[in-house]
Amino acid sequence: MSTATRNRDVWWMTWFFPAWYAVFGVIICLLTRVTPPPRPDVTAAEKVAFFAQHHLTIQIGFTLLLILLGGAAMTNGLVCYQIKRMSVGSVFAYGYIGGMSVGALPGFLLVTVCFLTAAYRPDRNPELISLLYDLGMLSYNGSLGCFTAAYLVLAIAILYDRNEVFPKWFAYVSIWQIITEVIATQMFVFPSGAFAWNGSIAFWLAVVVFSVWLGALIVLLRRAAEEESAKESAQMVAAQ
Amino acid sequence: MTRTEERTETVGRLPGDRDMWIMVLGDMTIFAGYFVIFMIYRAMNRQEFLVAQQHLNITIGVINTVVLVTSSWLVARAVQAIRAGDVQKSIALVVSGGVGGALFMVLKGYEWASKIAAGHTNSDMFYSFYYVITGVHLIHVLIGLIVLGVVVRELRNPARRRAQMVEIGATYWHMVDLLWVIIFALFYVMR
Repeated sequence: MSTATRNRDVWWMTWFFPAWYAVFGVIICLLTRVTPPPRPDVTAAEKVAFFAQHHLTIQIGFTLLLILLGGAAMTNGLVCYQIKRMSVGSVFAYGYIGGMSVGALPGFLLVTVCFLTAAYRPDRNPELISLLYDLGMLSYNGSLGCFTAAYLVLAIAILYDRNEVFPKWFAYVSIWQIITEVIATQMFVFPSGAFAWNGSIAFWLAVVVFSVWLGALIVLLRRAAEEESAKESAQMVAAQ
Repeated sequence: MTRTEERTETVGRLPGDRDMWIMVLGDMTIFAGYFVIFMIYRAMNRQEFLVAQQHLNITIGVINTVVLVTSSWLVARAVQAIRAGDVQKSIALVVSGGVGGALFMVLKGYEWASKIAAGHTNSDMFYSFYYVITGVHLIHVLIGLIVLGVVVRELRNPARRRAQMVEIGATYWHMVDLLWVIIFALFYVMR
């Protein structure tokens, strides 16, 4: 068996990772319109108008996301696999998977159900539509903090690892994630301004840091897979 | 001087390691974002911010600045001590630097408690920035104490004792100090 086929499964997942996030980006930005976030400081009538305007794309986007959502867990599985290759032991890998899965419910599923429910009966009482709008957005953006434990586990694993699966600086980038996401808790208190769910500090700076983190992770997962391939082919040469 | 000599040379190379410098420069970029956004909101609500700022206790701000700058100086001397091979002195200096950081957190906690008791909560826009930005800085101080703790642990272990580790800790700790000086200037001093 050639080395290329030995960790082909890892390579499949390494390509699947950016592909899934690209589809996810299209769904949340172009179809469901939750990113960039709609304004929190609008009247119930304006919220009803938001759902009326984006009725079709919200239904298409979120039903699509329901089908594809498991892909996010698969991308987390790939990170988990690379953590298991570190010298720290698999408890960190399970901690990462568990921490990430906690965020999936408020971060994706609740907003999906809220927006689909609002779009389901557009003639509902505007106050109820307004509630679903707030509930969906607070859950979706406010849940950023739920991923904090997973980032902490990842950062500690990288700092302790002696196999150099990921570079140390990525642990520090994960710590920036923790800090910007702790600030996201302010969204539950502020209906407008820099700390609201569409605020420059609570949302936009957090999104920029998340994009840097995600982009770095995609590159580093590729590099880790390449190193694994190289190691395996070296072992095979030694065995022959 | 060549790269291979870098373990023994003290000039002409990057102190600490590349990873920590990525951390420091990136973190300062994020803080620069907070500061720019604060300045924009301040420019839009100038009078309101000036009135709210009057209630900050500049004395405690000055004390905290002195505490953190002193702490930074102690950690810088710890780097010099370990380069000179004096491990015990280096450990003592790092520990006293950490005590400075802990004192900073206690003073900040007292300041927060007294401000909240006086009714200056985050319902006031100036204070919403004050609590978030000083809070994020406090998390950095806490991380710094963990970093200094790791440095002390490594120094106590003869097998893992390296001057580079103290430099890494000092690089981070100086950033915490520098960020506080900017926060102090923006929130307490600027009129």
